[in-house]
Amino acid sequence: MTLAWIPFLEPLNAIQPTWYLLLLPLVLGIAIIYRAIREENYAVYWRSVAIMTGQVVFGIVAIAIALGLFVQLVIPILNQP
Amino acid sequence: MKSNHTNQEPVSFNGAAIVLAWLFPGVGHISIGQKRRGLLIMSGMLFLVLCGVLVGGIDAVDHKNDGLWFIAQVWCGPIVIAVDLLNQALIAPLPVDEKATLVGLSHVNEMGTLFIAMAGLMNFVIILDVIQAKKGDDFELRSGSKERRAQQ
Repeated sequence: MTLAWIPFLEPLNAIQPTWYLLLLPLVLGIAIIYRAIREENYAVYWRSVAIMTGQVVFGIVAIAIALGLFVQLVIPILNQP
Repeated sequence: MKSNHTNQEPVSFNGAAIVLAWLFPGVGHISIGQKRRGLLIMSGMLFLVLCGVLVGGIDAVDHKNDGLWFIAQVWCGPIVIAVDLLNQALIAPLPVDEKATLVGLSHVNEMGTLFIAMAGLMNFVIILDVIQAKKGDDFELRSGSKERRAQQ
């Protein structure tokens, strides 16, 4: 399927099963732009981009785990008669 | 921009820089002398838009079917309008069976659209920043160089 794929014209359907990994480049791009207007010094720029990317990814993963636990564990307990 | 500027110079309104920031992300900052900052903004913005089109195809920008998303995406400027025009010219007129491989479905379409929408919203923030950015207030290349310059 990917052999006939034309980049930038056709969607990248091969990434469908692992779509959640796209969170990393998404957050990295946002951090590159946001830190560019917030940082005063280039010496610490890429470090702060890495920190912001890590913090946002960690936050989203933590929320996903918390919601997963809530749906898998808490809701079945609440549903018990 | 950070609010902890040490000098109290009046901030001027950069009308032309606002238009340039919309026309091509990052150019607004470059036009007011913040070259390094502008180039980083430009690279981040192009990274997000190219990732979006790479993942979702040109169907990731569609003002007819995804009108609300397009409002967020269009803040990226003419790049996104060009992608939408390509979509309307190349994909929209095709019959359904030929369109099937060119239109993103499910997560691929969502993520492609989201990448470009986030780029658009970030460029909105950039435009707000360039309104009150000070001319020549670019990145310092070394730590403490601003303080050293102030002492001289």
